[in-house]
Amino acid sequence: MRHVVSAAFIAIALAWGTGAQAQAPQGYPADYTKIIEAAKKEGKVVIYATTDAVAANPLIKDFETLYPGIKVEYSDLNSTELYNRFIAEAAANNGTADLLWSSAMDLQVKLVADGQAETYASPEIKTLPKWAVWKDAAYGTTYEPIAFVYNKRLVPEGDVPKDHTDLLKLLDTKTDFYKGKITAYDPERSGVGYLFCNEDIKDFPQAWDLFKAMGKAQAKLYTSAGAMMERVTSGEHLIAYGIFGSYALGRSKKDPNLGIILPKDYTMVTSRVAFISKKAKNPNAGKLFLDYILSKRGQDIIANKADLYSLRSDVDGEATIKGVTQLVGDKARPVPIDQTLLENLDQAKRLAFLSKWQQAKKGQ
Amino acid sequence: MPIVVYRLLVLGVTTLAVATPLSLVVYQSFLTAPFFDPSAQLGLLAYSFVFADPDFWQALWTTVTIACGMAAIAVPLGALLAFLMVRTDVPGRHYLEPLILIPIFVSAVVIAFGYVVAIGPVGIFSTLVKDALGFVPWNLYSLLALIVIAGLTHVPHVYLYSAAALRGLSTDLEEAARVSGANPFRVAVSVSLPMILPAILFAGVLVFFLGFELFGLPLVLGDPQDVLVLSTYLYKLTNKLGVPSYQLMAVVVVAIIAITAPLVFMQRLLLRQAQRYVSVRGKGLKTQPLRLHGWRWFAFGAIVFWLFVTVVVPLFGITLRSFVVTWGEGVNLLDVLTLDHYRELTDYPNVVRGILNTLGIGVIGGAVAVACYTAIALAVHRWNSGWTRLVDYLVMVPRAMPGLVAGLALLWVFLFVPFLSPLKSTMVSIWLAYTIVWLAYGMRLVSGTLLQVAPELEEAARIAGANDLRVKRDVTVPLIKYGMLASWLLIFLIFVREYSTGIYLLGPGTEVIGSLLVSLWGTGAVDLVSALSVVNVVMIGVGLAVAVRLGVRLHG
Repeated sequence: MRHVVSAAFIAIALAWGTGAQAQAPQGYPADYTKIIEAAKKEGKVVIYATTDAVAANPLIKDFETLYPGIKVEYSDLNSTELYNRFIAEAAANNGTADLLWSSAMDLQVKLVADGQAETYASPEIKTLPKWAVWKDAAYGTTYEPIAFVYNKRLVPEGDVPKDHTDLLKLLDTKTDFYKGKITAYDPERSGVGYLFCNEDIKDFPQAWDLFKAMGKAQAKLYTSAGAMMERVTSGEHLIAYGIFGSYALGRSKKDPNLGIILPKDYTMVTSRVAFISKKAKNPNAGKLFLDYILSKRGQDIIANKADLYSLRSDVDGEATIKGVTQLVGDKARPVPIDQTLLENLDQAKRLAFLSKWQQAKKGQ
Repeated sequence: MPIVVYRLLVLGVTTLAVATPLSLVVYQSFLTAPFFDPSAQLGLLAYSFVFADPDFWQALWTTVTIACGMAAIAVPLGALLAFLMVRTDVPGRHYLEPLILIPIFVSAVVIAFGYVVAIGPVGIFSTLVKDALGFVPWNLYSLLALIVIAGLTHVPHVYLYSAAALRGLSTDLEEAARVSGANPFRVAVSVSLPMILPAILFAGVLVFFLGFELFGLPLVLGDPQDVLVLSTYLYKLTNKLGVPSYQLMAVVVVAIIAITAPLVFMQRLLLRQAQRYVSVRGKGLKTQPLRLHGWRWFAFGAIVFWLFVTVVVPLFGITLRSFVVTWGEGVNLLDVLTLDHYRELTDYPNVVRGILNTLGIGVIGGAVAVACYTAIALAVHRWNSGWTRLVDYLVMVPRAMPGLVAGLALLWVFLFVPFLSPLKSTMVSIWLAYTIVWLAYGMRLVSGTLLQVAPELEEAARIAGANDLRVKRDVTVPLIKYGMLASWLLIFLIFVREYSTGIYLLGPGTEVIGSLLVSLWGTGAVDLVSALSVVNVVMIGVGLAVAVRLGVRLHG
């Protein structure tokens, strides 16, 4: 008898559950239920991302509670591996990711420009900043300020730079103290580093002076933010230039020795770009996940659980567009998601920049 | 099934497994775009780009320097170590033997992470030394440090071959020298080591070759000062153009193969030479080990010091890191102790899967791999034909491809061979990659065992009327059972340690600890990396302990 009762309960719960889920989220067109139904039939969504599973975990778990029956298969890869794998799999045409979500903004835009993305106008478009949507295919999903990070134990309080000019001054006046103690992404070996340097040149007239000063201070260049922060907290280096605010925030919660500065003169803001693959086997589940990370519910988790910074103005918390605005006012400079990013991949420009950089690295 | 069919079948499958990824890489290097891109054309563009790049030559030069330096350190130390362990009365030899081999079985990335924490600029040992001296007398990120670490961690490779050669030699000549008044050092340098010169040379070439394969050490230790070797140059190359470029990577791989392939064949020649030398072996009486007298404890101390630097320091470093939140200058480690990193491991399904998959690939994958190696070894066993030489060369070909690239090539194979593609996201792809990459090593293990089976028993069976396959199944295989078990253990250790081959095959369902470590290091999850490294070391430690307990000789 007990079995019958509990079976009945389960049946009711299931019926109620599916009934509730079949409704479109508020503000979405009524026929959105069709996408949900189709996605449930697909049963899973395959995601390739550069966001490490550590940070993405709360998003995935919440998505799976919101849409029971749709499993998230999540792979975190570095941006090069992600690109390599995706173009090979797309060409082989026997299954690849449904959704690509990468912090390598230029490579993502290139894939969209090369026709690898499905055009899909998300119902969330109207809630997003203009610069974050391109061709109804590429969507910015985060609002990550690029910060200076420093060791609170070992950097004297008077030295802590408030903006780029401060940092330049500090390196010019205390060159010996900071010799070998500054760290940054290496634009020669890291795509992110290259992107950062180029944006700096657009936003900061003295950018090359700063690069030269870093060269004179024998800055140590890395390809991974984790390696840089590990070495800043240990005291091997003291100040890291150009770290994703998201990584820094997550790390500083565990280790109070890590200080974060959003530069007051201008703060570059990058965004993780997502798009749905044209070769997606589960396109509807892909759309559902994309809409979910752009939705208020998803962005709330992005801001407050994953520390990835929300780009929606209606989300509250430290890691949000609001939080960043509070700190730097109107000095935030989001990198727009559009064809200008493709210039970064121009070979001639790249080689020209790199040879100039090599000079700067020597302090010349 | 007649034996000829079996032999040709095995030969065919092996050729296919080895040649497909390799030819794909070579073919790709002569194209102007990825091979699956419709706009790809034949051409030498990729070659001219790479050869015109000064960084390529810089990386090549660094690689050669490292390989030479490694050999210069590892060869004399390894040979001397072998002499001490095999011929003299150094105390505690029995306990030292398994310890000496640890560096072979610990992943290079784990060792590198450990060194950063232990003797990096603000490492635990560095700060101690700095307190005493006022400065840190070494720079972990210099080329010199990389060479010394690479050299010291490869001492066991030389030790293995030298010790095996020494054991095969009679001690008559050494005793003669001793009686004539030579001191033990003189005996080693003037008598013992010259006798095993071919084996030492062989080991030297091997170490030089392994220098070209280095990936984990330069990846971690070369990063801060931009010390590029060919394998890490592959990364930088991608960024030069902004867009990852298969054809340029393929060119670098072809360049690596062009250097390593001759080395592999040189090894073969030397090995044959070495065995010829050893033919003067005598079944001497049990002899007394050379007495070192006062030098006894000095030699012991030297070995322990080497073990301390190459094993204790890095493993201590990584273990410590896994139990603290932060570390470095001005941090009291007692304040920051934690078990959180280990708890966090279970939060991530991919990490949990990675640990299980690693065990699986070691235990099950290792067993299946040994079965395959045995199948190949049996096919050429007692087969007087030119084909056997082909197989000899064939199994060595994958050795010339760095694991990272072999993984990428296999990804292509799994993508574009229709009946294989469903297996792409399963452990089968990882297993196949590992099995191919370690083909030469595994074959040496199994054929070594097969060589110990005298032909009489097989002949007896044949005379009694059994056909060739029956003989193999009922006589040869049961006779080498123990050898196969030993091979299984060694392959387990190698598969659990492996980190570079799985990187490009990493995905949901194909996580293994090694490639997760590299990937997590890239995203900066150092906490997880350290805890996972310790898990990996523990697995290997258990495997080693079982091997020692069962009395497995830890070499082929």
